[in-house]
Amino acid sequence: MISSYTFGIYPRSEELIEATRKNTENLDSLSQKETDEYINTQKNANLGFVSDPLLKWDDIFRPFSSLTSVNLSSLNRIYEMNTFYRILSFDGDDFTDGGNIVQSNLDSSLPKNKTIAIPEPFTFAELHTSKKFKKKDDFIINLAKMLRPEIDSLVESGFEVIQLLAPSIAYNKEVDFGVISDALKIITDGLNAKTILHTYFGDVSKKIESLLDLPVSGLGFDITTTPTNSIEKHSFSNKSLTIGIINSFNTAIEKPQECIKQVDEINANTKPKESYVSNNFDLEYVPKEFAMNKISVLGEIARGTKDV
Amino acid sequence: MSKLFPTQEIGSIKKPADMLKKVKDPNVSDEEKIKVRNDAALLNIKTLEDIGLDIVYDGEVRRVEMYEEPVRYVDGFEFAGRVRSWDNKYYKKARVVGPVAFKQNFHAEEFNFVKDNSKRELKVPVTGAYTLADWSYDEHYKSKDELVLALARNVVRPLVKDLVGLGAKIIQIDEPAATTHPAEMDIFRESINESVKGIDAKFVVHACFSGNDYKALAPQMPEIKAEQYTLEFANRDTWNTGLDDDTRKGFQVLKLFKEHGFKGEIGIGVSDVHVNEIESPELIRDRILYAAKALDDPTKIYVNPDCGLRTRTREVSFDKIRSMVKGAELAREEIK
Repeated sequence: MISSYTFGIYPRSEELIEATRKNTENLDSLSQKETDEYINTQKNANLGFVSDPLLKWDDIFRPFSSLTSVNLSSLNRIYEMNTFYRILSFDGDDFTDGGNIVQSNLDSSLPKNKTIAIPEPFTFAELHTSKKFKKKDDFIINLAKMLRPEIDSLVESGFEVIQLLAPSIAYNKEVDFGVISDALKIITDGLNAKTILHTYFGDVSKKIESLLDLPVSGLGFDITTTPTNSIEKHSFSNKSLTIGIINSFNTAIEKPQECIKQVDEINANTKPKESYVSNNFDLEYVPKEFAMNKISVLGEIARGTKDV
Repeated sequence: MSKLFPTQEIGSIKKPADMLKKVKDPNVSDEEKIKVRNDAALLNIKTLEDIGLDIVYDGEVRRVEMYEEPVRYVDGFEFAGRVRSWDNKYYKKARVVGPVAFKQNFHAEEFNFVKDNSKRELKVPVTGAYTLADWSYDEHYKSKDELVLALARNVVRPLVKDLVGLGAKIIQIDEPAATTHPAEMDIFRESINESVKGIDAKFVVHACFSGNDYKALAPQMPEIKAEQYTLEFANRDTWNTGLDDDTRKGFQVLKLFKEHGFKGEIGIGVSDVHVNEIESPELIRDRILYAAKALDDPTKIYVNPDCGLRTRTREVSFDKIRSMVKGAELAREEIK
């Protein structure tokens, strides 16, 4: 058995979508009921770590719009998806006045073994704008400085594993690993928690060497875009490895035995320090009933996989 | 069309509120609902004609939405549920669970009604195979390519053939997903070519802008069997009048189409469908004149909004179209 978790934003039910649209009286209680349901499904699946389904979040960046010098801007497509997020415009001199934004937007009933996903600084800078920081590198570093107290606050409240979402590192053909490393160092230096840099929305086969050098505890891969044979060429003896085996972009439910075989093969070839299985990206890309099934199947895969 | 700068709409217009209320009311009879839909279609057709649009349709007033409507009538699909578009806006997404097949011409009633009620040229919008595939979960086919081509051959082609059999002369294939995956342009090209194969009609392709500024589309355009592309330009352009490159920055990409050897028509988006401000006729005139010069042939320019106008109020939509028609008139006067 290996450890497991799901992360990102989970789908709202049809009922919750309607209640949110109409702002009904039972909106809060319904949202809490569905949050509890997702948390219980993860617990029942025996996932190693449990995450908040983030049902009130409109996109993964949205809570940061409450920073003093940040303004909500136009809609923008999430890479090649048919889903959009709001661009945040970091307009002031200083946007490090938060520190507890993510934590204050999480459900308080999460168990002790909990995980959370937040965007890493490079992705954050790629998808948002700043009038203050004209140079991308300065923007990235300042975003890292903004994120560090957020992560400290999460760790203080018991989060043991922090997912750093890195779709831009995967999607962009050219990335400057120097500045990414500097930014991640700000986030992870002396941190008393595991950090997993999770790549998706692009094939990172040619970037794995560089990714392995980054100052994070582990790397996560969407294996629908990064072929497993390219991951298997590398040793993960100094890093944790998360295999994003659950495909959040298809309603087809994974076959546990096939997945167990695949994960065992990857682990045998990469010999990771620790191994996890997860979804490849936010489960909200499938409707709720499919997401629930996929969480249960993930637990089955984790239980059937050999220890590393 | 012999007239310079013919004007047209892309497709959707916000549905009248009273129509929506009645068609959703379980106490309203089916006969009454048919009448309400016909009245709404007629209102759109006549309003567009009165404004002076050269090529018209019914504002897609009978359709639920461009994806959900066709999927309802195609074998092989099952709706899975709603998926977020943005914030709390969702769209219904379907699973492909078996071979896809055409059952019936789901636009026949709509087309026949428009044909019977307008003397203008008609352009029928149909959702393209690539977009239908891209917006669905595929649990049946081995690859996206296979699904796209199956939809092109077994769904879109028979639909288009039937519409042409009923008298449709201009078919617009709507492909908002096409440019979102620049690496998949080959399969997009094949999907259009397979969809129109052996059918005698004028084909128009509508593709949205997706951040790549049509750079991936441009090399494919001469190879795709479409006479016209209706594309977005206005939402990346400035709101100043003028004919210089900086002012008309949204239209620069037209030069790229020419460089890649495209010799067909372009339906230029001159109205931004994401904002309520109405473009002045003078601004539209300059956008048209710039485009005509960029393509070096004014006869290749058609004039339309960037995209369907359904996210705007009806008042804003018709005001935008009205201004567009006036702008085209001003541009014709300049060319004289």
